[in-house]
Amino acid sequence: MSMLKLAFQNFQRSFKNYISLVISLAFTILIFFNFQNLIDSHIFDSLGEAVFRNVEIIIQIITIVLICFMLFFIWYATNVFLSKRKKDIGIYIFMGLTNQKIGQLYMIETTFIGLMALLFGIVSGIITAQLFQMILFKLSDISIDLQIGFSLKSVLIVSAIYFLIYLIFVCKGYINIVRSSVLEMVSASRQNEYVRQNHFILIMKTIVGMGFLCTGYYFAIKKGGMDTINNAMLAVVLVIVGVYLLFGGMIPLLFQTLAKRKTFLYKKERNLWVNNIIFRIKKNYRTYAMVSVLMLCSVTALATGFAMKERHDGIVHFRNTYTFQVMSPKKDLYKDFSELIDKNNDIEYSGEVSFLQVDSSYIDERFKNASYGFLSYSQVKQLAKDTHFTFDFTIPKDNEYIRVDRKTLMTIITDNTHETIKINHQEYQIADYTTTPYLGYMQEKTAFYMVNDTVYQQLKSIGEEFYLYNYKITNPYHFAASIQDIQGHSDCMGLIKMDPQDDELQWVRILYSLCIFMFMVFVFASGSIIFMKLYNDAFEEKERYQVLQKIGISKKTLKHSITNELRFAYAAPLLVMTISSYFSIRALANMVQTDLLMINIISVIAIIIFFTICYFLSTSIYQKNAGIKS
Amino acid sequence: MNNKKVLEIKNLTKDYGNKGFQARVLKGIDLTIYENDFIAIMGPSGSGKTTLLNILSTIDKPTQGTITLDGQDITTITNKELSKIRRDKIGFIFQDYNLLDTMTLQDNIALPLSLNGVDSSICIQKSLELATMFGLKEHLKKYPHQLSGGQKQRGATCRALITEPKIIFADEPTGALDSKSSRDLLECLKNVNEGNQATILMVTHDALSASYAKDVYILCDGSIQCKLSRGHDRKEFYDRIIETQASIGSDFS
Repeated sequence: MSMLKLAFQNFQRSFKNYISLVISLAFTILIFFNFQNLIDSHIFDSLGEAVFRNVEIIIQIITIVLICFMLFFIWYATNVFLSKRKKDIGIYIFMGLTNQKIGQLYMIETTFIGLMALLFGIVSGIITAQLFQMILFKLSDISIDLQIGFSLKSVLIVSAIYFLIYLIFVCKGYINIVRSSVLEMVSASRQNEYVRQNHFILIMKTIVGMGFLCTGYYFAIKKGGMDTINNAMLAVVLVIVGVYLLFGGMIPLLFQTLAKRKTFLYKKERNLWVNNIIFRIKKNYRTYAMVSVLMLCSVTALATGFAMKERHDGIVHFRNTYTFQVMSPKKDLYKDFSELIDKNNDIEYSGEVSFLQVDSSYIDERFKNASYGFLSYSQVKQLAKDTHFTFDFTIPKDNEYIRVDRKTLMTIITDNTHETIKINHQEYQIADYTTTPYLGYMQEKTAFYMVNDTVYQQLKSIGEEFYLYNYKITNPYHFAASIQDIQGHSDCMGLIKMDPQDDELQWVRILYSLCIFMFMVFVFASGSIIFMKLYNDAFEEKERYQVLQKIGISKKTLKHSITNELRFAYAAPLLVMTISSYFSIRALANMVQTDLLMINIISVIAIIIFFTICYFLSTSIYQKNAGIKS
Repeated sequence: MNNKKVLEIKNLTKDYGNKGFQARVLKGIDLTIYENDFIAIMGPSGSGKTTLLNILSTIDKPTQGTITLDGQDITTITNKELSKIRRDKIGFIFQDYNLLDTMTLQDNIALPLSLNGVDSSICIQKSLELATMFGLKEHLKKYPHQLSGGQKQRGATCRALITEPKIIFADEPTGALDSKSSRDLLECLKNVNEGNQATILMVTHDALSASYAKDVYILCDGSIQCKLSRGHDRKEFYDRIIETQASIGSDFS
């Protein structure tokens, strides 16, 4: 029989065993393909150059993460194939095959499995590509003409990357087989020489790990002015190292200490699963740490998406507050402009306000703005009343001001301690702060300070007064009809007109939906990594569970023990992630100046639900692989 | 001697194969084991030793006949009850020790008891007592890979005894041990048996091991050929076993 034929027969026979692995691999390819297809299908081209570039960068980041994930996934999968085949392979040795031949057999067989997964993945990817794009644009609230079809380029790229990674690990398996001894393959005997780890090293790891983690948390939430970016980077590094040391030190230490206390240990199945965790943790702690970090990324990604969206909506709101803002050096023109607009449009609401434009040379403050505007308290109050905005500020004292600020997508300045401002050598303290868009789009361009009417009169000496007439029309899409009339007025110094269709921040919305997908991909990846790890471990545990069954321990008891052990495997990274995510989200919330606690809670709950499903699936499959359930 | 029946086997037969191709492995075995017995079953390969032990330890089901363990017919009860019987009434010792390499010797010994939900202080106390009796007290904190074969097998015996089972099934317990370790283990088993602490059924091909038992049954071709009883002198008993083996003539392994 030829080698190829034998390998193909093996593949056919064992295909049923590998089906869950093949599906998982195929799913990874599917996701990878969908993102790649998004870039290659030039679907963003119609949204303009800026959008395309921003989105492409984000998708590239996602792609890198996906490739890393794929790497781990294939690593685990090929490991499973190898350990599962090793015993059968031992038999071939007695039939007189050389290690090289057996290695080839393994390579051919595993390549079949890999090709199968690739085929499934690409085909399902092509089928779902349309759906994926539809969901993406629906979420982003962008209407675009989707063309049926997919890009051949992405099929090739995805296949090439996947197959390259796959080939590397298959070769690794080949080398493993060629180098392994006959005895090792036949008996697959393991000598577990070092079950317990050195206590002292564990304690050191724990102390250092906790130190790193706490310092990381501290830097994450520290308000650091211009240092925020540096602090955030430092926090990321510290937290990642801290999490690794935590799983490598504190958890083994905790369980080893518990296992020494026999009064604790000898309680039902505890004896079994606590010892098993101690045994496993040495090999698995990197996986747990990686999953924790990955989940942390996922939660942060989701929160970033939501924060951006909220900001974006806020900014859009600023823009859409008024359709027309007419600036004029003359007062009492409100009626004139109303009449002009009324000719072709209906006014929904309107209001007028005056402001003082002051040259920045008069102002002394920590972070200087390009232009400064001063408002009087009573006028803004009146404007708020006319335009139905809330206004609940008390009159500022003579040395106080209320900051009327804009919204930005993200700011690196997280502390607002620069509350004192010097205007013409006179100091003013901040009394309040608002981002309510009283002045609409104007507020985005100029830094406004609201002072009481007396101060406003005093400041007139250093500033130039302008009048702003603001109108919102009922049908903003019909705005063009009134432009000519307004601009035709001799006292119209400047006109700000809002085109509802002109949206230069469209990419933020795409980013938002990509963040949601990224969250899902990351969470899926982390769940699958633990799942695969346990899937793999179960085969190694098979012998042990057989022994336990032999000495008369019921399946029910063993199932209990497995349930407890696996619960730990899922709960430990989940716990670390939950605690860490609070800090990372706080850091993010500082940067974007919004409250993201709700997003944090929701995303953690979503992960918990997904992990619970994985956990139940895992328990069932683990029992099957360990030979407890038929 | 106490005459309470622990295990009663009546007309036990076991067939293997499908219709038309049946091979009768056990041909109507009758055997009664009383409390505090120490019985060895010997026989050449293919005589049905392993089949008998598998059926007795509830892993396999007989074709015909009844097995009464502690007053309960184990051939007719449900799987759930069977696992309860395995847990509470039977202790196992295997040729290859079957200790778990993930836990210390003490944890291994205490495992069946703690899994039964017995209070931890009792688990600790009993594991200590048994370990002392089997000379393993200094090794309790060690892992199986740090122990010798004899120590491992004595540990496995402690594990089998800790639940105070009605009967212990030992399947070639000395099969993997050198003669010194074998003797140590058998002395321990004998002491436990004589101290009224255990009823033992041992399957072996080794005449030396068998000579530690009180009675030896020779199984041949699926039925019991003869029964030998020890009397007082173990050496003399050993010689008798060898003679009987020679007279039967088959390969004992």
